Amino acid sequence: MASRNATQTTGFLRRRLQRAAPLLTMVSPVTVWMVILIAVPLIYVLFISFCSTDEAHHIVFAFTLQNYAKLFDPTLLSIYGNSLLIAGLTCLISILIGYPFATIMANSSPFKRTLMMVFLMLPFWTNSLIRLYGWRSILGSNGFINSVLQSLGLITQPLELLYNHFAVVLGMVYVLLPFMVLPIYTVILKLDHSLLEAASDLGARPARRFLKVTLPLTSSGIFAGSIMVFIPALGYFFVSNLMGGGTTQLIGNVIARQFKEAFNWPFGAALSIVLIIITLVLVRAYTKTGGKMDDLGAM
Amino acid sequence: MKTRRYRRVMAIMLSLTLLLTGSQLTACGGGGGGGGGSEGAGELNLYIWAEYLPDAVVERFTEETGIKVNVSNYSSNEDLLAKVQGSNEGIYDVVVPSDYMVKMMAEEGLLEELDKDALPNLANIEENFLDPSFDPGNTYSVPYMGGVAMIVYNRDVVTEPITGYQQLFDPQYANSIVALDDFRAVIGMTAKSLGYSLNTTDDTELAQVALRLEELRPNIKLFDSDSPKSAMLSGETSIGYMWNAEVAICQEESDSFEAVFPSEGCYLFLDNLSVLKGAQNRENALAFINFIMEPEISKMISEEFPYLNPNREAVALLPDSYRDNPVSNVPAEIIAKGEYVTDLGADVAKYDELWTEFTR
Repeated sequence: MASRNATQTTGFLRRRLQRAAPLLTMVSPVTVWMVILIAVPLIYVLFISFCSTDEAHHIVFAFTLQNYAKLFDPTLLSIYGNSLLIAGLTCLISILIGYPFATIMANSSPFKRTLMMVFLMLPFWTNSLIRLYGWRSILGSNGFINSVLQSLGLITQPLELLYNHFAVVLGMVYVLLPFMVLPIYTVILKLDHSLLEAASDLGARPARRFLKVTLPLTSSGIFAGSIMVFIPALGYFFVSNLMGGGTTQLIGNVIARQFKEAFNWPFGAALSIVLIIITLVLVRAYTKTGGKMDDLGAM
Repeated sequence: MKTRRYRRVMAIMLSLTLLLTGSQLTACGGGGGGGGGSEGAGELNLYIWAEYLPDAVVERFTEETGIKVNVSNYSSNEDLLAKVQGSNEGIYDVVVPSDYMVKMMAEEGLLEELDKDALPNLANIEENFLDPSFDPGNTYSVPYMGGVAMIVYNRDVVTEPITGYQQLFDPQYANSIVALDDFRAVIGMTAKSLGYSLNTTDDTELAQVALRLEELRPNIKLFDSDSPKSAMLSGETSIGYMWNAEVAICQEESDSFEAVFPSEGCYLFLDNLSVLKGAQNRENALAFINFIMEPEISKMISEEFPYLNPNREAVALLPDSYRDNPVSNVPAEIIAKGEYVTDLGADVAKYDELWTEFTR
């Protein structure tokens, strides 16, 4: 009885294995890759976020919740608020620019479409730091804009265009705009035009048709783009360093400092966990409202 | 069912990927690799600050010794430490840590003791710079170049002469200062303006520093460590707090810049040549360090990068334009009155909190 059971089990296992073999050989390299490069570092981050440091800045493996308690410091709370505000504004402006751009692109001839895509992606071939330095020389006190305005006699004192929130948001929008345009573009391309015709036939004016039909059908693209823009905007500390002159702090700046000058990796890890949680919540909300992961993955 | 699980897996994978791209925090800086595997005597792997060693010096060393030098660069002591700690032992042969970083790296066991018999040129170094507090007896390091953080202002805009840190807090200079993006430098300067040490960890003193920083905040236009002189030269700011060589370059560009050694005393730094523990080319490393301390070679370096040169014999060879310029060749009495940054241990968290509050 027992031996028959055993043969049954091995037979069952063999059959399972035979069925799983192709999947294993095809998928396992990717999985191993993902585990080594993504899962392991993140588990390490989670692990050290519960550790502390000693006098010589070594990480000490003694369990503590102190790093998480420090997260609720009023100064840090105001930095989260500031970060969320900047990321939110970046998102909103990116939608306002990106949506019309994606619409025009999707409705153009294939040649124009390719051309627009090239213009959108071409700047990405240059390092974003260099492009941000370019903005600094355009916006500076003696920069292009101020020189032109002054020589036209429109202003007497140079405008303060750099080293403030405005400049940071501008830099963020500039760096992240393609991440908003592409998902919206994908969704608009897939839009079923017969639905729009039906709406018009039933008497909807263009504005109403847009609000009641087009917008709901493309909202998943907007949401996908917002995730792709919002999350990096919380962490891109180099943008706030260059455009804000280091006077505007994002969560990313605080994290970067923990890993370098402050030698406090555990606290930096705890702050990173906050970012991870924000991301997971947003992605969850996205999939809950019917968003497709493929639209995010299209990037 | 399958698609749903797939979706969930993808959701997790994607959020993780997004996060990694969103918070690539430790990956920045670091420079290139450490040069390939060396075969015995022919190579040297050097890891040094960017813009600190002329190519001509490296070429001359190779010419004289036949040793091939692989140079990589970093831009902060913390980058250096992170790179060395995160790599195999002996990834580099020679590194150039600053004062407090020599101490930290030596305590971590990352530096090799120097064989002084192989460094006869150590005799060329000025007495004042030997046997420093961060490395007694020069066990692990010999001086390379040094300097101070100091004030520079534009005489065309700032009419009252500035003599010390005090005036940087004056409300009349709202939004007109560029300062090093370095929390130890800025908080240290504020502490010194109150007569405290650059390295104070006293809570009552730091509480006053916090209040004082509130007065500084409206005056700061931007922080920049990479090239603070640019903001001065473009007229973006009229007052600057930066390294002496940056000030020297400002003055070369225009006569309207006045350099000030703050009356309260300066923030000093001294960068040093050290051999990394487990260095694959130890003898080459010592030969290189000795070569750098040759007066003729040290002179070549100062001609290109006008920092304070601790090499007495090299200074004797340098032209008057270097020797008589206090901004490059910082006078001994300024050095004597100055202070080095020290590692604060766990108390660095107090500075970090002050800075987070200040730049919020």
